[in-house]
Amino acid sequence: MCKECGCGEMNGNARLHFTAKGYTETNVKEVEKSLLGLPGVFHVHIHVHDGETTVEYSPAKTKLMDILGALGKHDIEASL
Amino acid sequence: MEIQVRKNILGENDRMAAENRAMFADNGVYVINLMGSPGSGKTSVLEKTMEKLKGELRMAVIEGDLFTSKDADRIAKHDVPVIQINTSGGCHLDAAMVQKVARKMDLAALDLLIVENVGNLVCPAEFDVGEDDKGVVLSVTEGDDKPLKYPLIFKESAVAILNKVDILPYCNFDMESAREDISALHPGMTILETSCTTGQGIEPWCEWLRQRVEEKQNR
Repeated sequence: MCKECGCGEMNGNARLHFTAKGYTETNVKEVEKSLLGLPGVFHVHIHVHDGETTVEYSPAKTKLMDILGALGKHDIEASL
Repeated sequence: MEIQVRKNILGENDRMAAENRAMFADNGVYVINLMGSPGSGKTSVLEKTMEKLKGELRMAVIEGDLFTSKDADRIAKHDVPVIQINTSGGCHLDAAMVQKVARKMDLAALDLLIVENVGNLVCPAEFDVGEDDKGVVLSVTEGDDKPLKYPLIFKESAVAILNKVDILPYCNFDMESAREDISALHPGMTILETSCTTGQGIEPWCEWLRQRVEEKQNR
């Protein structure tokens, strides 16, 4: 996380960048909350208009299937 | 081509943190690692905690600072044992630093050990020092955007103390938004609002500590 001192340079965080279908102006906040509520997810950015989604997470704490599961609960279909 | 294998620093830290955790468990002392930005009010919250819990819980403090013993001096005035760790510019405490000083303490004579980390919202959250819980202090002057900007510290902490609420009317800090963001990052996390000037929220914070100490002692 800290680029200046090198702390956490081996923390192995991953960035997922994908498109997904099913976002609406009304459900996007809830989807963000669900994703952020996963233990290893630190950052979520969603473009509602084209479904472009970025998720930064720690694979040690949250599995890809957990992220897909959180999306699935809101009927969001991701193309990874 | 030569491939250099680098030492897993965090792995070594985790090993020492596990040793610390076992040492604290053996002595039945509850340990909280208090983190937050410089100026968030960590030391002030501790001073209020000492005032409130002195005579009720047997406490000690490990003070982490880059330089000086200014914070340790403030704690010492409350007649609570305090050990200073100067990191000489290092931005966080690690398990080895805490172990070195904790071994010199009479842990069996303590109920509560508070580790005040170096003022920093980033690095301390990445280092387990063997604590039972991490806590984060965020003052309203820092802005309500901080939880989402520094998510790890809120993910890792069991309690968030939103401090300096007495000056909330003079800040553009949106309390509802901050609470919502913290709860989104860490569902179910305890969020407390405090002011060390008025004393607001200090009793709920102390009550939270009492419960955690009791739970530790009943384990």
